[in-house]
Amino acid sequence: MKLSTKYWLLQALGWGAYSIVGLFLTAHFVGWRSDVVIGYILFFFYSIAFTDFLRREIKRRRWLDDISFATIAKLFGIGAALAALQTFLIVGVNFLFLGRATDYAAEPITAVETWWGITWVNGTWIGLYSAITRRRRQREKEARLESALRDAELRALEGQINPHFLFNCLNSIRGLVVEDPKLAQDMITRFATLLRYNLNRDAGHTVPLSAEAEVVADYLALEQVRFDERLRVRFDIDPKAEPIQVPPMLLQTLVENALKHGIGKLPAGGEIRIRASAEPDMLVLSVENTGQVNGAASADPQLGLNNVRERLRLIYGGRAGFELRNCDNNRVAATVQIPAAVMA
Amino acid sequence: MRALIVDDERLARAELRRLLEPHPEIHIAGEARNGEEALRLARELAPDLLFLDIQMPGMNGFDLLEQLEDVPQTIFTTAYDEYALKAFEVNALDYLMKPIVPARLEAALAKLRPLRGSARLDQVFVRDGDRCWIVRLPDIFLLESEGNYTRVHFRDQRPLIRRSLNALETQLDPTLFFRAGRKQIVNLKWIEKVDLGPSGGLVVTLRGGRAVEMSRRQSAQLREILSL
Repeated sequence: MKLSTKYWLLQALGWGAYSIVGLFLTAHFVGWRSDVVIGYILFFFYSIAFTDFLRREIKRRRWLDDISFATIAKLFGIGAALAALQTFLIVGVNFLFLGRATDYAAEPITAVETWWGITWVNGTWIGLYSAITRRRRQREKEARLESALRDAELRALEGQINPHFLFNCLNSIRGLVVEDPKLAQDMITRFATLLRYNLNRDAGHTVPLSAEAEVVADYLALEQVRFDERLRVRFDIDPKAEPIQVPPMLLQTLVENALKHGIGKLPAGGEIRIRASAEPDMLVLSVENTGQVNGAASADPQLGLNNVRERLRLIYGGRAGFELRNCDNNRVAATVQIPAAVMA
Repeated sequence: MRALIVDDERLARAELRRLLEPHPEIHIAGEARNGEEALRLARELAPDLLFLDIQMPGMNGFDLLEQLEDVPQTIFTTAYDEYALKAFEVNALDYLMKPIVPARLEAALAKLRPLRGSARLDQVFVRDGDRCWIVRLPDIFLLESEGNYTRVHFRDQRPLIRRSLNALETQLDPTLFFRAGRKQIVNLKWIEKVDLGPSGGLVVTLRGGRAVEMSRRQSAQLREILSL
């Protein structure tokens, strides 16, 4: 329900209930007089109008931003003043119908009694309005904080382009300019694509796997130039998996990890194989590389992989899976399973 | 001056070679693709200068230095400066960031010390946990034997080095380092005061306050050297 709809509904319910009960009680004592019925109907409408005016003032003057005793006293004072106006109108309507024989002529003190009662009704209105508004604002603030925190966390986890890679890459390209200008040109374009992809990301957004795979291919092409014959690459991506949405830099992180802690550690180099398949409702991504993981000895690779785990948790809750294990005595596979969703 | 280039990337080695072309005083004696190869070549070629990449597969730059008996003057080359502070603590000649700026290379080469005349040890590499140093021998005031290891005293540091005192002694300049007894070698330049000890041997006090007692036989020899 929209916020304003809720407000008007509560206004109508509150003042409606008060007016109807008041009408029945009064009618019980003085009978169903037309001036009483019309008086209560009018009271219902102008009370809503007055308190709505009060709401606008509260909003405009930001009285609820910081509630102090002075604010409370001020609000209560306004409630009392409005009550005086309401009482004046009640007496006025009464006078219009009954002239000098008004109910209040005999005992003017009943008008004060009426005013005092309405003052507390208005006070209740102010209390409820403040409590509801403050609670709503608090919730909005918490939600904003939470989403900002999640964004910041994701941004941190997605990570920036690895500076070590960046500068090594520039160095290799500098070397290539002399040796193989054509290849150097190609590398510069790939490098630009990679940088652009890295800079244009929005935290938490997803991209089609095909886009991520292209960037990974560019990244690997650059690394192949650096690694020379030490790095062999194989892509094995199911065309059905290509449109599936994935978190950006997820596959990239897995590939970087495989290079840094797998093939990068092997003087003779090795092969990296990237696979993606679309299972029913699931996308299975795996990055295999030459090498072995040995539990406790490697705390560092856990860092990159913990990031992957944490990101999957933030984005998918418990619906994604991740594992890293040795496939045989010369290969390691990192496998991620995520719920398959295709952007419309 | 003979240099060895150590880098796992072929293009990086080629690039450094090209950058060194305007410096004919640097002769590139060899190139190594990883730590193991570098260790073999360093022992074989005994280069005067090492251009050393820090991050390499297998044995990294620091591991290599630790394995070398005789540490040449070293210029680190690195892509990113996460290691820069470390390199400064090791007292490397300089470190260069890749891609290397030619003027920076020139400045680094200007810091090179002239060739030493003899095959004497010039500096040692010491690692203590996460910290490492390339220590120049004149800075060391005391070497103490601890089994197969030697404790190296310099500044306010005293890390262990993975070589025996006897093995080290053979490479030290005898006019500078003096064997005080079975367990200690002192740097003569650091002696501040010589006293007669209670057992008849000499007790030398080094700058910084450390006192070392000589054996009787060594005391006689020290008298001769210092012509007391």
